[in-house]
Amino acid sequence: MWHKISWRLLRHELKRGELTIMAAAIVLSVTAVLSLSLFTERLQSGLLARSAEFLAADRVLSSRRPIAEDWLQQAQQRELKTANRVVFNSMAFAKDNLALVDIKAVSDGYPLRGSLRTASEPFGEETTVINQLPGEGEAWVAAALFQELSLQVGDTLEIGQSKFEVTRVLTYEPDVGFSVFTDSPNVLIHYDQLEQTGLIQPGSRVRYNVLFAGTAEQLDSYYEWLAPQLNDDTHNWRSIEDGDSPLARSLQRAERFMLLASLLGVVLAATAVAVAAQRYCQRNYDVVAIFKTLGAERRQIQRIFILHLLLLTLISIGVGLLLGWIIQAQVIEFVAAQLGAELPAAGLKPYVLASATGFVSAVMFTLYPLLRLIAIPPLRVLNRELTGTDKLRWLHWVASAGTIYALLLIYSQQWLLSSALFAGGAVAAVLLLAVGRFFIRASRQAGMQAGSAWRLAMAGLQRRAQANSVQMLSFSTAIMLLLLVLALRNELLADWERQLPDDAPNYFIVNVAPDDVDQLEQRFAARDIESNDMYPVVPGRMTAVNGVPVRDEVTKEAGGDEADTQTNNAEQREGFGRELSLTWRDDLPPNNTIIAGEWWGDNPQPQVSIEEEVAERMRLSIGDELEFNIGGNTFTVPVTSIRKVNWGSLQPNFFMIFNTSTLEDFPATFISSFNLPKERQSELYDLFKPFPEVSLIDLDAIMEQLREVIDQVSIAIAFVLVLVLVAGVLVLLAQVQASMEERQQELVILRTLGAPAKLLSRSVTYEFLILGAISGLIATLAMELSLWILQTQVFEMAATIHWRFWLVGPLAGAIVVGTLGRLACARLVRRNTAQLIRKLA
Amino acid sequence: MLIQTTQLEKKVTTQDGILHILQPIDLSIEAGQTVAIVGASGSGKSTLLSLLAGLDLASSGDVSIDNVNLGDLDEEQRAKVRAEKIGFIFQSFLLIPSLTALENVMLPAELAGHKNAEQQARELLTKVGLGERLKHYPNQLSGGEQQRVAIARAFIGTPKILFADEPTGNLDATTGHKVEDLLFEMNQESGTTLVMVTHDAELAKRCQRILKMDAGRLTEVSNNVA
Repeated sequence: MWHKISWRLLRHELKRGELTIMAAAIVLSVTAVLSLSLFTERLQSGLLARSAEFLAADRVLSSRRPIAEDWLQQAQQRELKTANRVVFNSMAFAKDNLALVDIKAVSDGYPLRGSLRTASEPFGEETTVINQLPGEGEAWVAAALFQELSLQVGDTLEIGQSKFEVTRVLTYEPDVGFSVFTDSPNVLIHYDQLEQTGLIQPGSRVRYNVLFAGTAEQLDSYYEWLAPQLNDDTHNWRSIEDGDSPLARSLQRAERFMLLASLLGVVLAATAVAVAAQRYCQRNYDVVAIFKTLGAERRQIQRIFILHLLLLTLISIGVGLLLGWIIQAQVIEFVAAQLGAELPAAGLKPYVLASATGFVSAVMFTLYPLLRLIAIPPLRVLNRELTGTDKLRWLHWVASAGTIYALLLIYSQQWLLSSALFAGGAVAAVLLLAVGRFFIRASRQAGMQAGSAWRLAMAGLQRRAQANSVQMLSFSTAIMLLLLVLALRNELLADWERQLPDDAPNYFIVNVAPDDVDQLEQRFAARDIESNDMYPVVPGRMTAVNGVPVRDEVTKEAGGDEADTQTNNAEQREGFGRELSLTWRDDLPPNNTIIAGEWWGDNPQPQVSIEEEVAERMRLSIGDELEFNIGGNTFTVPVTSIRKVNWGSLQPNFFMIFNTSTLEDFPATFISSFNLPKERQSELYDLFKPFPEVSLIDLDAIMEQLREVIDQVSIAIAFVLVLVLVAGVLVLLAQVQASMEERQQELVILRTLGAPAKLLSRSVTYEFLILGAISGLIATLAMELSLWILQTQVFEMAATIHWRFWLVGPLAGAIVVGTLGRLACARLVRRNTAQLIRKLA
Repeated sequence: MLIQTTQLEKKVTTQDGILHILQPIDLSIEAGQTVAIVGASGSGKSTLLSLLAGLDLASSGDVSIDNVNLGDLDEEQRAKVRAEKIGFIFQSFLLIPSLTALENVMLPAELAGHKNAEQQARELLTKVGLGERLKHYPNQLSGGEQQRVAIARAFIGTPKILFADEPTGNLDATTGHKVEDLLFEMNQESGTTLVMVTHDAELAKRCQRILKMDAGRLTEVSNNVA
């Protein structure tokens, strides 16, 4: 019988809108979590797919030896797309000129991700090439080689025993990477033409790559099969997320931000449920008292209300799932249209996560209010003041705090992040309780001063000190989370802006002869081109550490970047060449910070400064003696500092920097980077004509890709922000509405006694204004604390104080809470007094 | 004896010391009697009612219903006694706002596990003149109609005792009289014992016995039990 009563209550209450706030809170929590996690998951896989273009594939297997045919067949059996790419250095001849080039021979299907772009003349207008590669006897050649060999389209290029007709200018290869140490321009030929060049001989320095593309499952299943057969010395299996490139970093940060913002959304939604749960139970006090008076047993009441809550929760979860899916589908459609790409479907996990969030928060936040509800004495039918026992209040705090922490932890699976947020919340809570106490103490002198709206508001604030401090807790939580997401978003975007300012260098020049440095700098100045410092580069090898000879573990660009895709670096990573690009300098380069030891200043003794990650990998520390061999000369130098390098900065960066006196006598070439707007690209030819040996590396395409990814992430962040905002406003609304009901009786009395509507609505507005401003102030403080932890611990950014928010927080709090309070009050004051009295009765 | 109290007392501790809400009361009410308890506001009428109905516990003394001492029962057992033997009518009706008239009336019977709750409720509502308004919610009914629903609810389990707390206190005079008529008519038909708290002298006169409460002391003003 009890289930009938329960279902009946639920049906009618839903129809009559009495459960709207509770249902809306659960629906909101499920909707927010589902749409956020679906969206982030789909966007992330979309971004990954997009970024895979930088590898020209989802995964790349590289090797120094030809890759077994059997391995390719296995991949094809798993329906993976594959393509071969073989890269090596060779000399190319044309018109009696010769140059060292990187030959790239690729098979049909290349590139598996992204596309090539070509032009019909050097620095001419480029077009995207789809499903097309150089034909038999054809070669596509990078612009720089046209300069070096005085080539024209249609000329013949000799490589090894073959002759190729140059048919197009190669302007963009998705997998070109960023390394500034690739001093030879690329020549693209078809894989089938490789053998007849006769250049591949046993012992040749050749890099064999197989590119793979397919779904994550296909790739994982293949790798599972492949992994046991790989040899760490010769094989290397990579995805775009491996590495330390600006792109990988941006992606990782974006991922963390999305996760964090979603977490905040979860907390906000949970707060909404907590506020609503309290109301839900209070609203039923009378019902339970009547039930008990009519002879209902405790067990019956328990069952009726637990079932009632369960049904309500389940229905709300269902609605939330539907709504979340619809919102996410709409946003995905919009974002996909912006990106011009399909976003892959997500798995079941977001649905499970969302349902669990709704369920856990509904159950845990209702636990204590429900216990209290069931304990309501029947005597309440005669004495409406009775609200039962308050002894288990601690249980409420423990359950609520535990639930929020558990949700954070389950959602992020990162204890540091969860703890940082939780700590911020805890500080806010303690502060609020202190403020609440302060009000209680101040309230002793307060009476009911109905003369002016302000005085009435102040009196009201003090009289309801206890209730107000609890309300402020939810106001502050909501405001703090909103500020946090906003501040973090600004930080993140600003950080990316810093990384990619409009005048960021878009060209690298390498191989500048010492005699040309001055002349080149003058030419830059004459044309008003902004360039970075010229850095000398001396090729050298590290031969020993503290007297112990170095073998394979020493790597050149050990930190790696997209340059990994290229022959040189990949070889060096495996300790094949072990040749390092060394430089010298008097001052610490920009975007470098010393984390151990000291920069040399004027000390002429031989010294070297090492990049942090290299130091870590090679287990080097201050004072270690490194032996270098440069052109047959061997010398020993102590490590005097370790640097952190911002690899995202588009300037020449080095693993090893020496003081000037140590290296300046060795022969060097120079490198630099500069910014030349796209529309002035045609000037390049004239600019570098007098320096045929200088190589030019175009970073525009790479930067464009990076910008595109950042733009996409920004759209995503804006969406997350909107969702969190909606969640925040709902919490505020729920809280204002709940507290309005508490104020109702007093308002009715004042109204009956003839207080003008204006006075009442003003005093309520002022009261909420003050509440909002205080909450905003506390929220800002808590936000700063959380942000400081997040910036320093999670995002690896410099911590900053956000002065603007100290104004925005209280102001926004006052305006939003004040407005909501006024709206809620207006509705109440509009009713006539008789209606109000009846409602109260 | 259906209701019996011996030295029933209620005290509360306040900031200013102990407040005696009810001075020791000895009262016996037999089955079928109609009893009015009159007195000024705050004299302790409602407190006595709550003790008689087992809604609250006495500070000292005993209340027994049908020879069962309520003081010996826990909250659950007292609820059981109420479910089986007691009906209520309140000044503020106390209907459940989210249930229809019919469902409100069915509620006590359902809680007691009666099978034909709906049938009984329909008959009772028809009897109180609301046969056409079964599906209405309390807020769609007038005050008099709501109280008639409450009367129907009070009678559904054929209780032995009906407690009424100012049953016409919230109604205008005309409606109040109609509700009174209905209440006494149904009470007579079912032979239920009626214990009514009221400050309305006219209403009190319709009862066989009138008890007066004054500052926690109860005295019998008139007794017309045949």
